[in-house]
Formats: sequence, C-alpha cells, structure tokens
Amino acid sequence: MANPSTTQDEYIARYGPHVSDTPVSGWTADMVPDELVKTHCCFCGMQCGIQLAVKDNKVVGFEPWEEFPFNEGRLCPKGVKRYMQTHHPDRLTDPLIRTENGFRKATWDEALSLVVSRIKDIQARKGNNAFAMMSGVSLSNEKSYLVGKFARLALRTANLDYNGRFCMVSAGGGNKKAFGIDRTANSWEDIPKAKVIFLSGTNVSECFPTLTHYIWQARDNGAQLIVVDPRVTPIARTAEYHLAVRPGTDSALNQALLHELVRNDWIDHKFVTENCKGWEELKESVRECTPEWAGAICGVEPALIRRVAEVWGTAPTSFLMHARGIEQHTKGVENVLGLINLVLATGRIGREGCGYGTITGQGNGQGGREHGHKCDQLPGNRDIENPEHRAHICKVWGITDDELPHKGKTAVEIFEAIHEGEIAGLINICCNPLVSHPDTNYVREAVGKMEFFCVIDFFMSETARYADVILPGSLHEEEEGTSTTAEARVVRIRAAVTPPANARTDTEILLEIARRLDAEDKFTYADNRAIFEELRAASKGGTADYAGITWERIEKEMGVFWPCPEIGHPGTRRLFENGRSYHPDGKFHLHPTPYRPSFEVPDAEYPLYYTTGRSVYHYLSGTQTRRIKFLVEKCPGPVCEMHPMLAEKLGFKERQIVTLETRRGSITVPLRVTEGIRPDTVFVPYHWAERLAANQLTVRALDPISKMPEFKVAACRVRAANKEEADRLRAEWKTLIQEAS
Amino acid sequence: MSSPFKEFFIDFQRCIGCDACAAACSECNTHRGEPMIHVDKTDPGHSPQTTPMVCMHCKEPACALSCPADAIKIDENGIVHSSLKPRCIACRNCELACPFGVPKISENIQQMQKCDMCFDRTNAGKKPMCATVCPTGALFYGTLDEIRALRPQSKPINRWRFGRQTVETRVWVMVPTDVDEMVVDWPELMAGAEGPVDLAMKLKERFQLEGIMDPENHEPLPESLGSETTTSPGEAEFL
Amino acid sequence: MSVSSMVQHFVRQLHWGAVRNALVASVLLAVAIVVGSRNLHDFDAALAGYTFATLFATFGIVYRYSVWLTKPATRRFWRRGWQMCFSPALWRGLRSPRILAGAVLSRLVIQDFVWRRGAWRWMGHMLIAGGCVLAAAITFPLVFGWIHFEQGAMGPDATYIVWFFGFPVHELPLEGIPSWFVFHGLIVASFLVIPGVMIAMYRRMTDHGAVAVQRFSRDLMPLILLFSVALSGLLLWISYEFLEGYFYSVLAQFHAFTVIGTLISLPFGKLFHIFQRPATLGVAYYKSPLAGHEQLACPVTGEAFAPALQTDDLNETLREMEFDFTAEGNEAPTWNEVSPKGRRMLIGRAHSRAREGRFS
Repeated sequence: MANPSTTQDEYIARYGPHVSDTPVSGWTADMVPDELVKTHCCFCGMQCGIQLAVKDNKVVGFEPWEEFPFNEGRLCPKGVKRYMQTHHPDRLTDPLIRTENGFRKATWDEALSLVVSRIKDIQARKGNNAFAMMSGVSLSNEKSYLVGKFARLALRTANLDYNGRFCMVSAGGGNKKAFGIDRTANSWEDIPKAKVIFLSGTNVSECFPTLTHYIWQARDNGAQLIVVDPRVTPIARTAEYHLAVRPGTDSALNQALLHELVRNDWIDHKFVTENCKGWEELKESVRECTPEWAGAICGVEPALIRRVAEVWGTAPTSFLMHARGIEQHTKGVENVLGLINLVLATGRIGREGCGYGTITGQGNGQGGREHGHKCDQLPGNRDIENPEHRAHICKVWGITDDELPHKGKTAVEIFEAIHEGEIAGLINICCNPLVSHPDTNYVREAVGKMEFFCVIDFFMSETARYADVILPGSLHEEEEGTSTTAEARVVRIRAAVTPPANARTDTEILLEIARRLDAEDKFTYADNRAIFEELRAASKGGTADYAGITWERIEKEMGVFWPCPEIGHPGTRRLFENGRSYHPDGKFHLHPTPYRPSFEVPDAEYPLYYTTGRSVYHYLSGTQTRRIKFLVEKCPGPVCEMHPMLAEKLGFKERQIVTLETRRGSITVPLRVTEGIRPDTVFVPYHWAERLAANQLTVRALDPISKMPEFKVAACRVRAANKEEADRLRAEWKTLIQEAS
Repeated sequence: MSSPFKEFFIDFQRCIGCDACAAACSECNTHRGEPMIHVDKTDPGHSPQTTPMVCMHCKEPACALSCPADAIKIDENGIVHSSLKPRCIACRNCELACPFGVPKISENIQQMQKCDMCFDRTNAGKKPMCATVCPTGALFYGTLDEIRALRPQSKPINRWRFGRQTVETRVWVMVPTDVDEMVVDWPELMAGAEGPVDLAMKLKERFQLEGIMDPENHEPLPESLGSETTTSPGEAEFL
Repeated sequence: MSVSSMVQHFVRQLHWGAVRNALVASVLLAVAIVVGSRNLHDFDAALAGYTFATLFATFGIVYRYSVWLTKPATRRFWRRGWQMCFSPALWRGLRSPRILAGAVLSRLVIQDFVWRRGAWRWMGHMLIAGGCVLAAAITFPLVFGWIHFEQGAMGPDATYIVWFFGFPVHELPLEGIPSWFVFHGLIVASFLVIPGVMIAMYRRMTDHGAVAVQRFSRDLMPLILLFSVALSGLLLWISYEFLEGYFYSVLAQFHAFTVIGTLISLPFGKLFHIFQRPATLGVAYYKSPLAGHEQLACPVTGEAFAPALQTDDLNETLREMEFDFTAEGNEAPTWNEVSPKGRRMLIGRAHSRAREGRFS
C-alpha cells in the first residue's frame, strides 16, 4: 500500500526540501569554468536561453546568453538561481525502496526487478490497463516521446496521461476546435508590432517574466494594454484598461465584447464570411449579451466593457494572449474559444502585428503535448482514435494496430480510477500530483489505495514520499535533447553534466524497464539523438511536423519553428498567412460560447470566491524552486491575499493567521491585505504540499472537453485560525526555510 | 582608446518586482550571495509597484563628500565605487547621506558595499549583470541613441531634485518627454497630508466598489461572510 | 606651466595650519631623538638616512592627517568621538571604557571583520600587520638611538644590558631564547611579512573582483615595497650569518633604499590607513547599544534606522558641504530623516507621479 511509513517531518529531515544557496564550488572569485554550456532554463514555457558554467562535471554558475534571440540574456530570478538545483544536497542518488520505517537504499537491479515484477503481477491479475503512467512536460521532447511509446509498448497500457492536463489542455482543445492546430499563431516577434495587447487570465509578470519585455516594447511603440484579471498583477497595474472580473465569468465578458463589436460593426466582414465558418450562428448567440448584462455577472463597469470593446474593435493590429486564468475552468475550452472569436471577428490574425496565442506554462508544455504522453494523442499531435494516424505511428514503431492501445483516462480520471480500485499501479515521472492535482486530500486517499507506486524523480517530491520504489532520475541539464518553447520554437537542451553519483538519466531508466518488460526490440536507441530522429519520422505529416528539424539546424539557427515538414523548409514563425486554418475545410471555426456559471459559486455558507495561481519565485509544484534559498526567502510559503474592505469587515489584520475552508478541506495561512484583489475574492498560490497545499480546497470538476480541473474558482469562507492551527502553521513555516545539515 | 563604458538607464514603471536583478547581482563573488541592488515595494498593501534601485553614480556624490575617511572614490569613468576596504570605518554616513538610499554598510566586514555598475564586467565591455537579466527593460545598459530609438515615448534625464537640492547623476532615469527634472517630493509626509496613492492604480476603476454600480444588485461584498468568521482582536494569531 | 608657476600653485594649495602641525611634530620628534640618544651619544650615524626619512614621513603623515581633519565630516566625527569618549554620562557604569576596549580588541587587535572577508585574507593581513608592528617597534627606537645594547657580565653566563632612552632597563643572558628573539626580531618580522605579502599578492592576482578594481600604485606598490624591505632585510641576515658578509654592503644599501622609500611613501599611499584606521573607534561610540542613543524612526516605514545624534551631525555636515535636502515648505522632514528604504519607496512613488500613473 502506498502510504508514507514515517512522519512527514522525518521525510523533510532526511530528504528535504532544504534550502541551499551556495554554489557547489563555494564562493570562489578565482574560479575559471571549463565551459559555458549554451542551453535553456528549465522553468516555464519561455525556455529562455542561458549558459551554465561547468567545471569538473559540476554546474558552478551561470552566464547570460545574450545572443539567443528570444530573451537576449534576460532571465527571471528562477532562471538566475536555477543552477543551484543541480548539486543540491537533497538530490536523490540511489534507488530507494520503502520499508516499515521510511526508505532504504537499494541497488538498481533490486529496485528495477521489484518494479518490473509488480507491473507484471498487477497486469496479470487485473489487465494491462490496471497499471497506469503519469508524466509531465518538464521533460524534453525526446523523453516525452519516449514516455508515450514506453507506456503503450512496454507497459502496454492505455492509461497514460500527464500534468499538462492541469495546464494547457483547454487551450489545446480550443485551438484545435477553432484552428485545427494547437500552437500559438505567431512567434512573439509580432507582439511589439501590435497596437493593442489583450491579456486575459495571464499573470505574465510573474509566470512569464521575460515575455513582459515584448509587451513593454509594444507599449513603447504606442500600444494600449488590456488586462483581464481579478487581481492587480504587476502587468495589470499600469494597463490602460484593467477588467477585474469575478473569477469564472470570462465567457460573459467575451460575449459582451463580441456583442459590442457586432453592434458597432467593428467586424472584418470579408474575413468572417470567406475565411470562417459559423459566423451567423455566433453573431446570433451574443445578441442579448449587453455590457450591462455582462457587467452584472463579471462585476465590472459596463462603460469599461464598452470602452475596451471600442479599443479592440478599432485597433489596426493586435495580439491577444491568454493562460491558465481562463483555461483552468470547467469552461476552459469555451473561454479560449470566446477569445478566439474576438480575434477572428476582427480578422486580425495571420499577418504582421496581428497575433494570438496561449502562453504555455510548463517548460516543455508545447513540445511535450505534441508527441504523445497525452492519453488521446500520438506523436505529431495525432489523434489516437484516427485510423490513419494510428497506421502511421504503427509503421514507425513497427507494430500492428492491435498492439497499440486506444484512448485512456485523463489525469484526474486516472486518480479517480485508482480511488475506485480500477487502477492498481502507477509509474509517475516528472509530476507531483499531491501538490498540483485538485482536491489533494482525495488524491492522497487514492494513492493510499494503490498496490504499487513507482516514482522517478531527482528530488523526494511530496508525492514520492508515498511511493514504494523511487528511482533517482535526471535534471534538465543532465540529458541531451530538445524542447519546444511557447512560441513553438524547437530549441536544444544540452547535457551540461552527467547525473550525480548513482543517479541515472530518465532515458536510461525507461529503456531499462522496457528491456526488463521484454520490449527491448522496440527501444533500440543508440542515444537521445536517435530518439529525436524517430520523433521526426513519427511526427512527419502530423500538424506538429518536426520532419525538417535536426539538432544541427536548431543549434545553427537558434531554434526552428514547427511545422517544418522538410529539411529545406525555413520553419513557420507565423501561422495562417495564407488565410487558411489547419482544418480540412481550411476555415476558421467559430463556436458560440454561451455563459454558464462555474461548478461551484459562492453561497450563504461559503460566500467568497477562492482562486489560485503562482508566485514569480516558484515553478509549478515547487519541487525544485522550494529548495533554492534566494527564492524561498522571497516567498517562503502560501499567503492569502485579501482586499482591505473584506479584511476590515471580517476583522482581520495584515499577517494574521487565517483558515480558509471549502467543502473539500481547509488551509491555514497568513493573511496579506492588499488593494490588489477584488473584495469578493481571496487568492492563494499553489506551490506547496500537504497542509500548505492550496489545492486541498479546489474542486475536481472537469471541463467536459479538455478534462481540465477548475483550479480557478471555488466557494470558500475565511475565519481566524485557532491557536492550534496557528501554532502548527508557525512550526511548518520554519521547516520551509531550513537548511540542510 | 575609447572608454568601454556605456550609459545606464532606469525606468521604475517597467519593474515587475521579480528580483531577477537582485538574484543575479547576488551571484557576484565580491559580495557572495548579497545583492547590491535594492528592490522595494513602494507602497505595500496599496499597490504592487516595485522600485529597483542601483547606484545612480552622482556627479557630486553625497556619500563620498560625507565620508569622514575619504574612502569612497569616483573614477575617471564617473563610477562611484564601494568604499576602499582599508579606509572604511563603517560609520554609516554614506548610507544616511545618499539621497537614493543605495549604499549598504556590512557590519560583518566593516565596509560599505554598493552597486559599482558591475565594474568588473563593464570595464571589460560587458553589460552589468542586473541590466543584462532584467526581464522588462526597467534596467537598461546601452547608448543614448539606442534608448531614444527603442523608447520614443520616453526621455532619459539625469537631473533630480530632492526638496531644495538638485542632484545630477551618471545614471539616467526615463520620464515623459515633457519632463526635464525628476522631482522627488514627499507630499504624503507633509503635515495633514493624505496617505500615498499609486496613480497607476487610481486612474482605473479596478473593482466595482460601492456607489459605482447599482448597489441593490451588485454589492461587492457578500452579505453574509459565512459562519464563525469574526474574531475579537485579542485572540488573533499572527505569523 | 612654468616651474615657478607650478611652485606657486603648490604653495597656494598648501594648508598652512597643517604645515604648522607637521613642523611641530617633526621638531618634537627630532628633539626626542636628541634627548633619547643622550645628545646623539647613542646615535648610530650609519642610520642617519633612516632618521631623516622618518622625520620626513612624520611631517607628511601629520600634514595629511591635519588636512584630513579639516574636512567637515571628519572634523565633526573626530570631535564627536572624543566628546562621547569623555562624556560623563557614558562614564556612568564605565560604559565608555567598555565600548572603547571592545572596539580596540575587535577592530584593531583581532580584526575579526577581516576574518569574515576571508580566512586567507585575515591570515595575510595579520601576518603583514604583525610583522610591520614588530619591525617598527624594533627599528625606530634603534634608529633613534633610544635603545642600545651594552655588554654586561662576561664569562660563561655572559649578558647584555638593554639601555632605553639613556637608562639601563634590563639585563639579558647572551645565550637563550629571549635574547635570540631580541636580536632576531627583524628576521622574525620578515618571516611574518613575506608570507603575508605572498598571500595578499596571490589574491590580487587571482580574485576576479580584486583584479578588476585594483590599481598598481594604490594596491600593488605597497605590497612590493613591503616585500622588498622584508626580503632584503632577510638577505642581510643570511649574508652575515651564513655567507660571511657576502654582498653585504650592496644589500645594506638596497635595504636602506627600500626602507627609506617605504617611509617616504607612508603619507601618500595605502599604508596611511594605519593612521586613519583608529578613527573606527569613534564609530563604536555612535553604534554601540551601550551608548544608548535615541533612534530616529522613518516616517515612511515606521522603523527606527539610525541614532538621531548621527543624522543630526550628518545634516550639519551636509549643510556645510552646501547640500540642502530640506523639503520645500518646512512642515515635512528633511530627506535625511527618511530611512534609506523609505527614500527608495518615495522615489518609486514620485516616479509614478512623474509618469502620471502611465507606462510611458
């Protein structure tokens, strides 16, 4: 049974997170590195270029990489301090097997034998699909591709999904519906050329700091900025127009904006009739959606909605971006489509300065989601249920159609199936569901019911504490490969060093398990480049076509934009330049997105909106960034943001410890009183685990299309913490910033 | 031989408070994990605005002129350096005299340390670390021609006024094109003055507050705030 | 510029009060030499060059120190330091001597702050400082004729008699560890200074930060001088002890050359910090919690940030330097009464106002 066999404090004491802030070389002013390795930051979809300073197979520092065109040396604090993770004292360097009392070190052979025997045992008893795999898109393209193939051909399971289910799937779903392709329509180069920038549900300044430069450049060139966000984020502060909507009401706003566009005839009629499908139906759907109607739902001034519609409607050029703020909803796909409608109605796409895109959050969120560790997808962004797509992949993989599993369960559904006993075993790589999954208490229960749980990770993530076997894997800077940035630029990830001590690369681990699962013949790769070569062939002809991309080209051209179907192809920076979508009919598909309420809205018992998000100092579940002292000192733990009006009404003061409750659970955190949030909404960042997990409170309700959980809206109430809760929080707060002994 | 040094520009409004500058600055081996750049919230609780502050390298630096030990030197490139270690007596005069609040006394090593525009890098023709990594261009290192081309809506100036005192600096601050002097006043500290207001926040009607919309239907605060929500101040627990 | 106008310029630049102080000091030292050497009876004429160099150095050091003290910041600091040192209030509970003793120990003797800059740096600095102090303590009294040795008892238990300032003060056995140290003190000093200089030099050659900001005349020259003094002194000893005086006279001249050079450079170069550094003791009086100064609270952050005494003194200094950081309209505090952090916050707000809340 996958339950921790010692206390959480004991796990922290032995495996961290501890904070560390000294380079492995110490502070030595006389050191000259052997090499500056040109690679990319592992944190977030921008994949900023960075040079890692390496000496004696150790990453000892960094140097900005000013020649890399996207970020020209610019970095966020995570990128700057990122190198401190490589030789962190918490690194796992031996396989661990759970005992009665925590973990013991094991040899690779013992650990792998155990993993393989348990896989075989469970699958023999309960069927192949009873053993599942969870993955993540901080993995390189090569590893993502390998995971997809590994799960289907070595584990022979349909139940493979990934943490992008918590991140980009709504955007992907919406983009595929509207455009037939899942990619930002433009490279970021178009942002500074746009005269209106529309940011919906994206805290660019904290989640993608280096992208801010492009938006500021646009404003230098006279662009106006529209931001939709319940909070005054740093990017929203100086925006010309900030629509601080109630969480979960974006689709009403989008409809009202479209209503105003129609009413004032700010429509590109030629484009919507000739290049789009479904305009009349869409137009009809917003007939009643006045700014007054939307203002009441969204809690913003109708006049402001009108003004924003005018700015958008009359803009000569524009760039619209969105992110998790509108995507992590039970209406995620609808929100995305609603925004795409605004872009298509004005026909501002596919030309210079006219752009649209989702801002992918995870390191390789773009590339990772294209090559097959999604439950419904095959490499090249192919559909696992499409016979032609299946046939192509079967040919590349040298298998017959019946050897290729069909569509499996999505991430939340996998944990629900585990909870139900339908799935009994799981391999988890690059994912920390005990932080990132909604309703973490439910996930903990589910994990506890598993027969066998194997985690591949470089640190003891909070999820790994529940594992039966932990296999020490590799970091971003320890394997050669590629990743694809949020603007669809395929970039080279370089192995600066080898994994420390007894740790192995993720690739080696997966290949070895595949060999022991008798699938060696499908996994004969000389090296990671061979995996990429196979990926090229597998993606050929798909929408995400990498066939013309080679490692050499990437290095020479500082990245290549897919689709790139052949070697001579220059890559595609801007989509739709020919006015055609990637649907077979070549049209852009418009979809009405009528407003409907979120799954759970405030009521008398739980009267406040609860919403979650990120801090600039942490990346996703925090497994890496919660170990870097500079970042932890800036942001040690979760705090609840609350407007002073609400705080006054509730009798709370700054720094007071409060307890937030929803129908799923509660969290005790300090209060930060700030005018930068709606008075009816509270906000908690989600990077922490166990009792500090913001996701203890979120709902497991899913978007019907993308199966994205609703992280952004829940109904909650807040009360003063009692003494016991406050004491516990203070004690836990101390453990967040303790150094390794 | 032409000087390898270029101009440094700062635009506080572009700052997003990410601390990348401070993180990068702290990597320097001469100050080992301690950043020399300051990033402050200008008005915590009221505005998310943040202010990055590097040494402005005054033409007549109050720090150097108030140093009793003659420990702060200005070089031929106009760079005001950290105090000379043998001379500095860590008296804090520089820290208290600098109008920009830049120098920091490290009691530990009995020395004033401050931003020296990454002298080791700029002297070798490189950019200072903070201006290289700054993800927003709030800190920029280049030529006057470059900045004018890049930011046509702004103007670099290097004249400041603090109350009655005019200060000229080597570092430029970006302001609207009709401003010639960066006036730092402190009206909120005048007797009877109102508290500070972030104009960037004030200018927009961010939230639907009472009175703005029909209060019948659109109360910004829920009527009920849930059970057992109130607490008497005496019982409150603080971090 | 002609030579005469250069001279005129130089003379105009002279600070005559400082010249007076320097002359007085040099004359006093000369008198002390004459008296201490019993009317030059004990004075070794071969060391006259050293004596004149020392007199020159004394003139220079006192001149520079005097000029330094005329700087408003320094003068105010100097006066305030002594004032607090002798303040009756601070003598209650013997706080003043406790502050002073603590400061002398930490800042001058142990120099723990250098240790915190780096263990090797501390080692190097302590070796150089220890060696120089030892060498100075031996050399100057010998050169001035204040100390000399005369033969005491003869025979198996032979002794030396130590004469100081014309009086016999001690009798030392000729053989034995104490007398070995007495006669080889300078050798010991060179064994301290040479490794110390090498440590410092190594750092200056390899530390990227130091390499970037160091200047030859300011940072490397003093090390080279000290090294040559110590090395030539050591070679002198080797020459007469082991090589029967081989090359001795050339070495002696070289040694004299380096020592005189170092002495003459004292008022100008980095080594002047030896005389400036004790001012750090005055700082202790500002800062020590024992002094119990009232702290000034920042009107922006609300936090206490400096002793009001120091900000008042600083305001006086700044006014003397013709800075005027007072607010227009006198109801507000002057800029210096806002903490450094508060200043930065207000600058950010002021810039937002200058931008009228807009981005550009």
